[in-house]
Amino acid sequence: MDYVFLIPILPLLSFLIILFTKPIYKKAGLVGTTLTGAAFLCSLVVLFSHFAQGNYLVEANWFSIDTVMISVGLEVNPLNALMLVIVTLVSFLVHMYSMGYMANDERYATFFSYLGLFTFSMTGLVLSPNLLQLYMFWELVGVCSFLLVGFYFYKPEARAAAKKAFIMTRIGDVGLLVAIFLLFWQTGSFELDVIFQAAQAGDIAPSLLTLIAILIFVGAVGKSGQFPLHTWLPDAMEGPTPVSALIHAATMVAAGVYLVAVTYPLFSASEVAMTTVAVTGGFTAIFAATIALAETDMKRILAYSTISQLGYMMLALGAAGYTAGVFHLTTHAFFKALLFLAAGSVIHAVHEQNIFKMGGLSKKLPKTAALFLIGSLSISGFPLLAGFFSKDEILATTYGDGRYVLFVIGLLTAFLTALYMFRLYFLVFLGNRSTEAREAPSVMLIPMMVLGVLAVVGGYIQTNWFGTFLGDWLETTPYTIAFVHPEAPFWIPLVASLLAIGGIAVAWLVYGRKTSIEESNERNGLHTLLYRKYYVDELYQGLFVRGSRVVAYFWMYVDRFIIEGGAAAVTYAVKRFGQAGVKLQSGQVQTYSTVAFSGLVVVLLLIAVLGGYF
Amino acid sequence: MNESFLLTILILSPLLGIVLLSVMPGNHRFINYMGVLGTVLPLVLTLIVFSLFDRTVSGVQFVEYRQWFELMTSISPNEPYTVAYDLGVTGLSVLFLMLASLITFLASLTALRLKESAKGFYILFLLLELGLLGVFVSENLFLFFLFFEITLVSMFLLVGKWGGFNREKAAFSFMIYNGIGSILLLIVIIVLFVEMKTTNITELTMLLKETDSLEFLSGDTRTWLFVLLLIAFGIKLPIVPFHTWMVRVHVEAPIAVVMIHAGVLLKIGAYGLLRFGVGFFPQQLKDMAVVLAILGVINLLYGAFIALVQTELRSVLAYSSISHMGIVLLGVASFNTAGLQGAVFQTISHGLIAALLFLLVGVIVDRFHTTKLEELGGVASQAPLFAGFLLAAGLASLGLPGMSGFISEFLAFLGLFESMPVIGSVGILGLILTAVYMLRAVLAVTFGERRPLFDGIRDLTAVEIVPSAILLSIIIWIGVYPAVLSNTLQLARTIGIGG
Repeated sequence: MDYVFLIPILPLLSFLIILFTKPIYKKAGLVGTTLTGAAFLCSLVVLFSHFAQGNYLVEANWFSIDTVMISVGLEVNPLNALMLVIVTLVSFLVHMYSMGYMANDERYATFFSYLGLFTFSMTGLVLSPNLLQLYMFWELVGVCSFLLVGFYFYKPEARAAAKKAFIMTRIGDVGLLVAIFLLFWQTGSFELDVIFQAAQAGDIAPSLLTLIAILIFVGAVGKSGQFPLHTWLPDAMEGPTPVSALIHAATMVAAGVYLVAVTYPLFSASEVAMTTVAVTGGFTAIFAATIALAETDMKRILAYSTISQLGYMMLALGAAGYTAGVFHLTTHAFFKALLFLAAGSVIHAVHEQNIFKMGGLSKKLPKTAALFLIGSLSISGFPLLAGFFSKDEILATTYGDGRYVLFVIGLLTAFLTALYMFRLYFLVFLGNRSTEAREAPSVMLIPMMVLGVLAVVGGYIQTNWFGTFLGDWLETTPYTIAFVHPEAPFWIPLVASLLAIGGIAVAWLVYGRKTSIEESNERNGLHTLLYRKYYVDELYQGLFVRGSRVVAYFWMYVDRFIIEGGAAAVTYAVKRFGQAGVKLQSGQVQTYSTVAFSGLVVVLLLIAVLGGYF
Repeated sequence: MNESFLLTILILSPLLGIVLLSVMPGNHRFINYMGVLGTVLPLVLTLIVFSLFDRTVSGVQFVEYRQWFELMTSISPNEPYTVAYDLGVTGLSVLFLMLASLITFLASLTALRLKESAKGFYILFLLLELGLLGVFVSENLFLFFLFFEITLVSMFLLVGKWGGFNREKAAFSFMIYNGIGSILLLIVIIVLFVEMKTTNITELTMLLKETDSLEFLSGDTRTWLFVLLLIAFGIKLPIVPFHTWMVRVHVEAPIAVVMIHAGVLLKIGAYGLLRFGVGFFPQQLKDMAVVLAILGVINLLYGAFIALVQTELRSVLAYSSISHMGIVLLGVASFNTAGLQGAVFQTISHGLIAALLFLLVGVIVDRFHTTKLEELGGVASQAPLFAGFLLAAGLASLGLPGMSGFISEFLAFLGLFESMPVIGSVGILGLILTAVYMLRAVLAVTFGERRPLFDGIRDLTAVEIVPSAILLSIIIWIGVYPAVLSNTLQLARTIGIGG
């Protein structure tokens, strides 16, 4: 356990080594992969020693504000031990995969240095025992995401997407920041433990606690691409595909869910906050799923799918399903990373992202196709795969919590998920369009296979049949949280499975049977609405982007005309006053004596009046 | 600390360079190098002071005291007014001193490119440094004022002679605004001197604190003095609407001078507010805290919004400075340890970041001969190192954690949220705007399609990498380990508030 500091340090080392030795080009991937692999091993060791030794915390003084000493530290508890394994594993696999995917990029080394920085920041975030430290890493992962989304910096779309990703998430971050300030003045500390104790002891007024929880959730909404701050995530697909797998599917975007989970004692103390989380999550889940139905870009479909699945996780957390949320986070990390890597393999082979321009690829890329199929089945909740168990857990909790509307939304989303995933699968891999394509090298296939196995078996850590290992372990916490484990009605998994299979069947009827389908440009009203993503981007563009420019121009003109103009008017007045003085200096003795005489009169009058002679 | 001459030697050290430069022929090959060398000695001496500074005790250190002259007045014939020559440094001023010497040295490097009349430039440059060093080590108001005026005169000439197209207008604008500020400051100094019979800063702080009974000055007088002080240093900081001169100087002055201007000179405004405003008139400041906070928010948002639509990089950075100085005001207004610490951190941090940004702007001017955003773009293709530094500087400026800007803003806002959460919530929107305008400007330069026009452009050279790397490492160092500032600052002791 004392070596837990190695987990963030190794990727940091990778970042620094690659940054300062860029000329050694081809070694960068190897260095990064090895060091991240080592970090993964450390995480495994930490996970297993957590089973044996329990929680771990080490802290050191950092700096002081008045008498309050702010510390930095590393904490290991069930939640973040699990996160560490997920983060380092996916990061390791993505590093390895990128050695193939990025092989011909001239900024190969830069790419790996960014990946190292990201892995460092993400593990640092997970290990943080206090909110200030967490916030710092929270922003750092955001910056890594920004750098990697804008990796192809010469593309104008990438530039716009990177900027958007940073700004949209920062809007959320400000909410989190305010929550941290409020908590500090309520509890005098940034330490999560101190804060939770204060909250449990009732030291924070309930209404304020609700406000704080919701502000924290605002941060989570930004990071996890929940409605209404979701628009950056699909655009973030401008980044290289391995990045989408690592940052925008498996780890960073899940940090929002993680944040809610980490501050769960605050949420569970406020019914309003819980409902906010559940409703936002449920709405986002179905909202994004419907957009995915009409999207034509392979990566963007997966991005909307990520938003939707993150919505599921939020729904679970809001419905008191702590384990369900974290469980789905875990399985989602596996199958979504798999889907992105497989999509990357396709893009790598055919250099095309529009699903209507692809087809028949299962013949050319049989391994990728098989792996993509596993991922699609898992995310759709096909019985006995990883996604099935975690989705079932979410649905059961939502039902058990008495949120029936959200439960129905969850079921509908399950159907939609199967539908849009298999629309994608059938269009890309079936049919008999023939495209030139070569299967990816094994350095790319092996990571996908590892994830493929996990996407199949990952669900068995938490089932009602074999045992709820994950839940029993996760829910060992010193705080009194009402963890809900409803006795799920037997029909929920049954209905969910039927809906999943139904979704696949519908996709087959529409897209699977035909040999080749052209993208139609004629869309009816609903289709257009979905295709334009409910016009949210246009709305924001008009409202906020234009709005702030209008305000900016207004102030600029105030600056130019009122402030500078005012200053110019003062200068002008002084100048005129001076010129008037110049006129007096005419050289005529008569003028001078008139002025002198009038002055004398005034003085005498003053003396007479003020002196009291009148 | 016993009698020592260290500080006197320090403030006179730029004179060595001035003397050597003035005996060299103006067209000498090494004239620029001589100028740079001239800033090295003060830097070394400052480093000595900085490392000898005892962080475990409170109070003024390296004190030098000599009687200078006496004034006999008819008001109190038996008690002459004594004006002394006294120097010293506190935890606050030693940080500013360090900032001044370091940035002057780094700025002098960027002037190596200067071809014409380098001799005069470096002589004035060193004179400016002398003024700056003097400002931060003066322990009495007369000396402070004297050195403050030296900086004005040398700045005026530097901007007016070596500036850009509109240099003369900028120089006069600078002189008029700052002249008005000086007059107001002088009024405050004279009133304090007449009433308190001393101009020693520490003594004044103690006296004014002890005499809350208003033995010396009535509450109203103090309020007026505080307002005058606020305007005097507000012009320098600058506080909206006294900022137009500063934008002009940012745009017109030669890069080396802008680095000092944005990095150190404007910081005299913050230094004055903290040392004199907070030190002399704490009660008045508390009473007017809401006004200050509102002024801070206006600065923050006003600067940020205007920066958003500027089409020229230097103007973006000028308005960005205004915006960032708003955060200093917010920290001061919160008037608790967190906020004041944040204000000091923000001042130092912005000094470093602004210097770095303008250093890089200097590179842009040198290579691309334009700072218009639309004429730049895609530079990352041809000059990756430069692009990397510019991006890092931009991120530092928008308050990325792990860099000095974050911890400063964090502390300032943390402080503000204790007393004024509503104003804080409005102000914090500035953090979003900062990200928007900073990324817009930086990405407009570095990202985007490769422009064949810039092919063959030279990336950073060694003489540019070294200062950039030094600044960036300090920025990161403070961001990662803020105790480096707070240990020296020892805020509660320096400014004398309990928190």
